[in-house]
Amino acid sequence: MVKANGKAGNGPVPAEPILSVRNLRAYYQMQYFGIDREVRAVDDITLQVNRNEIYGVAGESSCGKTSLIKTIAAANRPPLNVIGGSVKYSFLDRDIFRMSEEELSRVRWKHLSYIMQGSMNVLNPVRRIRKSFIDFAFRHINKPEREFFDIVARHLERLRLSPSVLKAYPHELSGGMRQRVTIALATICRPEFIIADEPTTALDVVVQKDVLAMIREVQQEMGSSILFVTHDMTVHANMADRLGIMYAGRLVEEAPTREIFANPLHPYTAHLIQSLPRIGDLSPKKALPGAPPNLSDPPAGCRFHPRCPLAMDICRRENPALTALRPGHRVACFAASSEVRPVSEIRETVPPKVAEARS
Amino acid sequence: MRSYGIYVLTRFAQFLLVVFIGISLTFFITHLSPIDPVEQMIAGMTAMGQSDPEAVSLMRTALQELYGTGGPLIEQYFTYWGRILSADFGPSLSSFPTPVSVLIGRALPWTIGLLATCTVISWVFGNLLGGLAGYFRENRMLKLAGVIIMGFHPVPYYIIAFVLLIIFGLMWPILPTSGGAAANLPRGWNAEYLISVLRHSILPAASIILVGLGGWFMGMRALVSNVITEDYVTYAELGGVKRSRILPFYVIRNALVPQVTGLAMSLGAIFNGAIIVEFVFSYPGLGRLLISAVYAGDYGLVLGVTTISIVAVSAAVFLIDILYPVFDPRVKLA
Repeated sequence: MVKANGKAGNGPVPAEPILSVRNLRAYYQMQYFGIDREVRAVDDITLQVNRNEIYGVAGESSCGKTSLIKTIAAANRPPLNVIGGSVKYSFLDRDIFRMSEEELSRVRWKHLSYIMQGSMNVLNPVRRIRKSFIDFAFRHINKPEREFFDIVARHLERLRLSPSVLKAYPHELSGGMRQRVTIALATICRPEFIIADEPTTALDVVVQKDVLAMIREVQQEMGSSILFVTHDMTVHANMADRLGIMYAGRLVEEAPTREIFANPLHPYTAHLIQSLPRIGDLSPKKALPGAPPNLSDPPAGCRFHPRCPLAMDICRRENPALTALRPGHRVACFAASSEVRPVSEIRETVPPKVAEARS
Repeated sequence: MRSYGIYVLTRFAQFLLVVFIGISLTFFITHLSPIDPVEQMIAGMTAMGQSDPEAVSLMRTALQELYGTGGPLIEQYFTYWGRILSADFGPSLSSFPTPVSVLIGRALPWTIGLLATCTVISWVFGNLLGGLAGYFRENRMLKLAGVIIMGFHPVPYYIIAFVLLIIFGLMWPILPTSGGAAANLPRGWNAEYLISVLRHSILPAASIILVGLGGWFMGMRALVSNVITEDYVTYAELGGVKRSRILPFYVIRNALVPQVTGLAMSLGAIFNGAIIVEFVFSYPGLGRLLISAVYAGDYGLVLGVTTISIVAVSAAVFLIDILYPVFDPRVKLA
């Protein structure tokens, strides 16, 4: 089992940001029969990812996770439009939205790569794997073709793939192999920043474990940062150094992984963590009443208030800002900010053995 | 490779089976119908007044011999197959005694020349423009091209043929309007004759291409707009793969697979001839031959044209089946 990164929560790490997102807003803007419809999938999100860090984004389906990272990668296509805010990478001299398609294509894969959702099906079905490697990586690795494929073969071996997969078409490989091929493809240029969108969701837990370990291994060897998105909290527990929780298009809480599992401050996060199965815990899990809000017409104030057991009057009127209640722990909740629990209480809480719970 | 050999063999067996069934069906449909070409011919001749019973009976035997219609049905069936395998469909009724195979052989190059070229041209341009229009959806020139092409598409091609005929044959007579080549020129592979063939083919070709383009264009545009939403295209875009690489190898290449099947089917279908266009422009192809054969009740000729068409369509399907793994590697598994 991949062990949770020990760095998390162990005092202040010199934070050198590789990605900083400021007040990012991206809406789906559509028109049906002349009526404008706006879905606020990414609403005022501010976050920062540091060098050599795995930042996890969690949240239930349709909370805007994929829209967020698509926007961060400047891969949003209409109708998903950026309304405001900025996305800056340390390897770019300006905001990513100010860059031309041409300039971006020089950066993509060399500095910024992407493991897509459902990445078992992202390979061109009529193109051999070696051609895909040429398409994606050849222009970044300035080597003659033979040397290039030597590098590729060595890299594939690191991911326990035989170089013979290069001759194959995607459909001739198993799902897990294709997954590893896309990871190899995403890491071959040793990019500083990798965005991983549900990279293991379609895999069974055994393969998932291997794939996660490989991602972790490659990341540590290259010192890259990963923005890791999944709805699976157990995967986050194993992978992420820091974790951001999204609800209805907003970031509601952010803290080092250990801290968030031990001491969730937002009621939504608390429910999310409570719903995880644990060994020896036979009590039935309670579902949160209600459903996530419709993002084209979100509730006023805090978007979680209709389902929140702690909702107060102010929650219905005003939108809580994401504020740091403890060092490195930000939360957007009026109830949490009004009664921050003492540090001692946090220390006493035993962190859930999520790793065990998974098996 | 061995599995591919088996694949080809099974497909070839299928091809033979389809041809066998098709030709047998044409045989039984024509031979079970109450129209007997021999009796018809005799009736035509005896109506002139001559009716010596012995001569008639001799003539009947001779004609039955010629057409292979003597004896019981099953015996006729075997004779029929023997004749088909030796490409002998007997003499034509309407241009007696020229054999059917000679008539078809004369018409075939015209039809193939005209229709194969037209089909390939409209396929290439339709797919090219459709592919570009589907990929660069915001481009104004391509939008305009789309509107024009789609405007032509629903017009029946004989209307376009007539309009072209009126414009270029009557109002502004710069192009020949009938025949396959100038009648006074000797046939041969010389520049003068070939240019004449080309000039004669412009109007029929234009009317076929203008209409045919729309189908390919529409199909390709729809396919491409589908393919560009596929994960592998998004992924390639995210990977910063150049558009000049994404368009041909990721988009067009994937969208083309069904279009190739379509091309094979339409190439097979050209052996029916383009009946109306050939008729309007008096083009000496199979379509016109077929029409006149039907009018004249020329039994052998109709059978000959049908047989060729059956073989051609099934051969096209067979060819595309065995070439399919080249276009879509996933088919190998089938």
